[in-house]
Amino acid sequence: MAKKTKDGSLTLLIKREKKVGFAFASPWLIGLAVFTAFPMLASFFLSFTRYDMVSSPRFIGLTNYRILFFSDNLFWTSLWNTLYHVMLAVPLGLIVGILLALLLNSRIRGIGVYRTIFYLPNVVSIVAMGLLWLWLFQPHFGLINQVLDPVYSLFNMDPIGWYRDASWSKFTIVLMGLWTAGGSMIIYLAQMQDIPKEYYEAAEIDGAGSLRRIYHITLPLMTPSIFFNFIMGIIAGFQVFAIAHIMTGGGPARSTYYFGYYLFDKMIMDHQMGSASAMAWVLLFVTLIITILALRLNRYVFYLGEQD
Amino acid sequence: MKKLLIVPVLLVFGLTLAACGDREDIGDKTEIRFWHMSPTGSESYSEMRQIIRDFNESQDEYHVRGTGFNFWDYWDRIGVAIASGDAPNIAFHTLDNVVLRAQGGALANISELIAADIAKGEDTLDLEVYLENQLEFATHDDDLYALPFSGTTRMLFYNLDIFEANGLTEDDVPTTWSELETVARQLDDVDADGRINILGFDPTFGEGTYHGFLWQKGLDFFDEDLNPTLDTDEHLEVLEWMLDFNDIYSRSRLDAFGEESQMLGISPFAAGRLGMVISSDGLYQTMRSYGADINYGVAPIPVPDEDGIRVNWGSGFSIEIYDDDPEKVEGTWEFLKYLQDYDTQIRLAETLGFLMSNIPAMEEYAEGNPILEAFVEELHYAVDKVYVPYAPNWHAMDWMQYFEEGLAGRKSAAEVLEAARDNYIQKRENYERMQ
Repeated sequence: MAKKTKDGSLTLLIKREKKVGFAFASPWLIGLAVFTAFPMLASFFLSFTRYDMVSSPRFIGLTNYRILFFSDNLFWTSLWNTLYHVMLAVPLGLIVGILLALLLNSRIRGIGVYRTIFYLPNVVSIVAMGLLWLWLFQPHFGLINQVLDPVYSLFNMDPIGWYRDASWSKFTIVLMGLWTAGGSMIIYLAQMQDIPKEYYEAAEIDGAGSLRRIYHITLPLMTPSIFFNFIMGIIAGFQVFAIAHIMTGGGPARSTYYFGYYLFDKMIMDHQMGSASAMAWVLLFVTLIITILALRLNRYVFYLGEQD
Repeated sequence: MKKLLIVPVLLVFGLTLAACGDREDIGDKTEIRFWHMSPTGSESYSEMRQIIRDFNESQDEYHVRGTGFNFWDYWDRIGVAIASGDAPNIAFHTLDNVVLRAQGGALANISELIAADIAKGEDTLDLEVYLENQLEFATHDDDLYALPFSGTTRMLFYNLDIFEANGLTEDDVPTTWSELETVARQLDDVDADGRINILGFDPTFGEGTYHGFLWQKGLDFFDEDLNPTLDTDEHLEVLEWMLDFNDIYSRSRLDAFGEESQMLGISPFAAGRLGMVISSDGLYQTMRSYGADINYGVAPIPVPDEDGIRVNWGSGFSIEIYDDDPEKVEGTWEFLKYLQDYDTQIRLAETLGFLMSNIPAMEEYAEGNPILEAFVEELHYAVDKVYVPYAPNWHAMDWMQYFEEGLAGRKSAAEVLEAARDNYIQKRENYERMQ
């Protein structure tokens, strides 16, 4: 066999490694192409068509987008509902997640059990969760209003209607979502473990109390995970749908009729796949723009070990 | 030891795989795929399987392979299957929108299949056994593109125990709206503190619908050209009648009554808390399945006092053939005829708990059961809701969002109708822009 040059062997090796690399990555690459890229391109094409999911799609140019922006009241209602949800759910989710993490970052007996308990809601099916909270939030017989009854009596006010009251329904869904804050809590806790103990020791020697240590050490060094959860929260917030579908059916008075819900109805109920695809692309761009704006906050994120 | 363990593990693995494989060897027979709503584990699964098996045993050329889906999953699956061109050969769908699939070219022409049978001198389906109204919904451009498979009708359920407790008998069951109001008030049972123990009737409970009440007055949501109406004084009058029926009680009390029923997890009528309710034969089947311990009867829904029309909202399933492949269509057509056959329809009614579309078969099925007999009789007065291409969901979400605001008192009846009408008009304009 002819002896290969050193360079030739290296090139061959790189090529072989590339092949092996692609072979190992191929299940994911094929999945990306078939299940993500193709549907995305298909929906982009469909957004310029009239398609009732029975007949062939027919090209109608920008009509779907024009209708959505200029002559569809529900489009704006659903977009507003979704923005409202994101604006409320994301910051509240961050605050509750951080508070839980701070609370459960202690060295007490059985801390693992507590952490598991707070994480558990994340593995509960959303349908079960919706039905459970439906009972808890029931205006007349729900546990929450029973507990709040003395407060209502004190202020001589009517019980809150929660999901049955259009002015409270969006907030009710946000409140319910906080039940799953244990998911972000795990990420915060993981990051807290990385904070060097020396920082706290030094602060303690300098006379910093626990609140100051949290404010000046823990929170700044948690900004990467806070930032991560912030971005993921925005993306997930714009996709809110299932819980409204289960709990409120988009009501009362369309107050929980989110963008995803309207998109679903356009496709399944109105048989307007083209219009639903256009909505999906609008949602993608809205989410993208807000995420890009949110990414500008990256300058305030402190990455441990990063050099100036 | 390890080798000893491998044997049982392989055995369990093999048995599991064998259990998963339910595919029979069909040899040279042509396979026909049939989708239904009796999935594995459901009460109707075994009998549905037996119905299919009986057909297969009678066949040399065709073999039907049935696939059952849960009712709630079924609609997404069949919709996607039709859209992707991978629909089964035969399946159920909703009768009121057959025209959508017929226009889209997804369905085989049933009229042509019947004509072909007649030309060959073979037995074919007798269309006389179906209700004309149902056949109309299965027709597009004068041809049948589906057949009615089941029929649903709505009636007034009345609780005889509550009637008797208030000194009333079956003779007092109301037949007009004014009688309905009078009897309902007599059946109400309210605590001194205002809590409603028993409510006589509420037109918004159960399956009472605004369009159903409009039909009884000869009105509708849309005119013949499918333009939204809803703007006459009579429309307003009917809606106000519905919203104000129980206005002697506060909305909060009525909501509390509704929530109590919701917490019970069963129909308030079945729980003995409603004196009368409008519902479909589905409520009868539910009460029968759960052994509801109340003495009740059914009657036609009371009609308006002047020129009231005996009519009710009767929805139903269609049975449709999705394949144009001549080899498959012939066998699928044979199977469809088998499903629509007199005896099979009775078996299907017993299996699925539906009233089927073959009226003579249903008359035999119901014989001796006064409730079912009344329902089969009422099928003749059942009308399905019109398919509106620009608002297929006109009776549900498109309407309910405004109706709920009226119920909650946030909008007056006139405002509800105006807002709903504006929404339909906008939907129509947008739909026309897309054409």
